Amino acid sequence: MTMAPNYAPDEGSWLCAHCKEPLQQLKVPVFYLGSAFDVLLPRCPKCGMTFVPKSLAEGKMLEVETLLEDK
Amino acid sequence: MLSQDSLRSYEARCTQESPPACRRYCPFDLDGRSLMRLVAQGDIAAARTLLLRHLPLPHLLSQICDHPCEEACLRRDYGGSLAIRDMARFCLAYPVPEKRTLPLPPKRHAMAILGSGLTALTAAWDLAGKNYPVTLFAEGNVDDLLKSHPLWQSQDVRDALAKDLAKLLQKQIEVRPLAAKPDLAELSSAFDAILIDAYALGDRLTLPGASDIDQETLLWHDSICVAGWLSTSPTGHSYLLPSQAASQGRIAAQSMERLAQGLSLTAERKKDQAPLHTDPGKVALAARIEPSAATYSLEEAQAEAKRCLDCQCLRCVRACSYLQQYQGYPRLYARQIHNNATIVKGLHQANALINGCTLCGQCAELCPEHFSMADLCLAAREDMVAAKRMPARAHEFALEDMQNACENAVFLPDQDVSKPSWVFFPGCQLAAERPSQVLELYDILRTQLNGGPLPGVALAITCCGMPAHWAGQKALFSKHMERLRAHLEELGRPKLMTACASCLAAFTEALPDYPLCSVWEVLDTLDISALQSSAKARSDLPKTFSLHDPCTASHNPAWQKAVRSLIQKTGASFCEPEHSGTTTSCCGYGGLVACAQPDTADGLARQRIAELTEPALASCIICRDRFARLGKACWHILDLLLPKEGMSGECLGSGLSEHRTRRAKLRREVLARMGKEEGYPEEGIALAISPELLDDLERRHILRNDLTEAVAFAEAHQTYFLNSENGHRLGSFRPRNVTFWVEYSLDEHGFVLHAAWCHRMIVPGSGGRPANEVIDEQQALQKDAANVGGAQ
Ligand code: SF4
Ligand code: SF4
Ligand code: SF4
Ligand SMILES: [Zn+2]
Repeated sequence: MTMAPNYAPDEGSWLCAHCKEPLQQLKVPVFYLGSAFDVLLPRCPKCGMTFVPKSLAEGKMLEVETLLEDK
Repeated sequence: MLSQDSLRSYEARCTQESPPACRRYCPFDLDGRSLMRLVAQGDIAAARTLLLRHLPLPHLLSQICDHPCEEACLRRDYGGSLAIRDMARFCLAYPVPEKRTLPLPPKRHAMAILGSGLTALTAAWDLAGKNYPVTLFAEGNVDDLLKSHPLWQSQDVRDALAKDLAKLLQKQIEVRPLAAKPDLAELSSAFDAILIDAYALGDRLTLPGASDIDQETLLWHDSICVAGWLSTSPTGHSYLLPSQAASQGRIAAQSMERLAQGLSLTAERKKDQAPLHTDPGKVALAARIEPSAATYSLEEAQAEAKRCLDCQCLRCVRACSYLQQYQGYPRLYARQIHNNATIVKGLHQANALINGCTLCGQCAELCPEHFSMADLCLAAREDMVAAKRMPARAHEFALEDMQNACENAVFLPDQDVSKPSWVFFPGCQLAAERPSQVLELYDILRTQLNGGPLPGVALAITCCGMPAHWAGQKALFSKHMERLRAHLEELGRPKLMTACASCLAAFTEALPDYPLCSVWEVLDTLDISALQSSAKARSDLPKTFSLHDPCTASHNPAWQKAVRSLIQKTGASFCEPEHSGTTTSCCGYGGLVACAQPDTADGLARQRIAELTEPALASCIICRDRFARLGKACWHILDLLLPKEGMSGECLGSGLSEHRTRRAKLRREVLARMGKEEGYPEEGIALAISPELLDDLERRHILRNDLTEAVAFAEAHQTYFLNSENGHRLGSFRPRNVTFWVEYSLDEHGFVLHAAWCHRMIVPGSGGRPANEVIDEQQALQKDAANVGGAQ
């Protein structure tokens, strides 16, 4: 199972409000039901806070979740 | 547990794969339905292949067969049976290139056939077709075959036979003269199996009659079969029935094969299949099309073929859009569910099928064999839960709502009577949607009943546990019910009356001995003249309603009767939709489908709405709200009995988030009646959400509380992203197995929500916890799981 690895925000130009840093596409492992995948997501380079775009949550991520649930 | 056997018996119950009448009555198993379908599509070559696969001596039979298929055809009374025999003749005459077939290797068992009647020739055709070496003992040479036959009359028949014989003689077949007194002992030693055509040999040998021989096998003795007797009419007249004579030839050929190979003559021979149930319904008359020449033209044939009713059962499927959704029928679905249960690795593709059924039971009522998808799917869910294979996503949200209703549970003893005769159980959905009507109804019940012989009405506001039952959570359901039973015993075991059909069904399931009824039955016995605000006099009500029975009351005639009687008392008039009472349709909520598969549920609601020709009237609040949400005006029976200003059938329900608020409020109101005060929960932050957005989010299982919590968390910890283009903030919070995301802004009144979404996957750095902490935790979990796996 693979997730196409790079997801940018759907729109806008986002900063981490806490660190005032612009976000960068950085690697993060995501986990579900005993599986793990590396994905590039918009993250704060300083504190690591990670952004999950709506289109990813309701698209590919939902698809992969459902597949893993039915396994 | 669904055992292999029970799954198989489910499968066997559905007749959709049984042959249609035409095929059932054809001794050669020719499917008229497929033949007509192929001709209608213009695929004559395929139609021809079908015929050649089934019919022995096809040219001859398409001339002389007495076509029992046509006698049975369901078109018969609607313009005349399909012309199946003429269609066969047309297809065989239609010029299509002959397909070359690869020659089969010859078989070694030698077969003898004595005589050359239709039975003998059919057996020869079948056996030679399978490459057995066949010796045909006939009088005269081949050209004389059948010469004395009564059917040997018209030129057409002679030509047809000539064609079939030419084909037959290309096979491994030897024709030898028939002795005046054939020596059966000698033949038996030379051949592996023998058939004697009784019609052709009757004057040379002393043969048994048809009644002396088992018609299933046609075995006489040793390896000798006899078949091909004339039929006798009721008046004693003997005649040859071609379909029967040829059919005996086929049966005999099958027996000869088994005899030669030393196999059982009877094993797995007869198909035990229930006949296809076909209800042609309303069929427009269409007269049979006769060929204008000796055979049909292509146009004529296609026009005739299109008269075929394409006989199917599908009674249940036609009424249920969920059953239509997977393009199959229960027999196929039972098989898929069976496969789902047995696969070890790979995708469980029937999970959606199993969780898409509303468990309403309509199919079992409509099916002549009482196939219940509901029983099948519920059992499959229980198995999945037991095997820990049920995806949490399917029912978690509904079970959380059940949990919420239980947290807001409240039991109010009758304030005047210490041992109440009754307990009113409105149901958690009605209580959440219509709290004031519920209290009003409770007061009416007390006023009316407390003066009578059975005084005292307690009030129980909680969930009946049906969501757990529907989710296949057997243990949770019975634990919940045990708790409820304890409460009821504590109240002195009062008779339970409920305003919710699902509650009543849940209690009937779990506490079958407990005294139960619907509140409508009780109201129907009371003097409610004060309530009968005369629906007739109300200008805001439709003239006639379409009455919708909730599916959970489909087996509750007392509920149905009382509802009708109460409506009549108010003076409102109503009509019954196509499916009503025991066969009523579900609104899509049943079986938690509205939670697990909102689209499937809406499909079911839409199909039901189409059956409700007038504005609807329901005795279940969930049905009412679901119909109204999809644009169908629908009143609840309480709207007739206890009208509320401004309440109409078009009004939308208040939604799931609001239900939680109302439940908490109702609980405080009831507690106040008991003289107890409960503090208000802390107000969350003010977050403005448009009703349309909230409705959409609730459908995605995101409630107002989740949203305010997420905003409050992001603001409190300053953990949000900021869109420098428009000032929107984006925060996330993971209070349970779901991460909620909120995109909002701040204006002079407070926070305004713009969008929200959620996911179940764990994404470190979101949901309110530091990324590294989550990664370490998840990796440790994976390592543990791998160790456990390795240790096994
Ligand atoms: S009603 Fe449905 S389940 Fe019953 S035989 Fe027909 S197709 Fe099968
Ligand atoms: S209507 Fe068609 S499918 Fe039905 S019995 Fe007649 S030929 Fe067969
Ligand atoms: S939704 Fe109802 S009618 Fe449809 S399959 Fe399920 S129980 Fe049968
Ligand atoms: Zn940061």
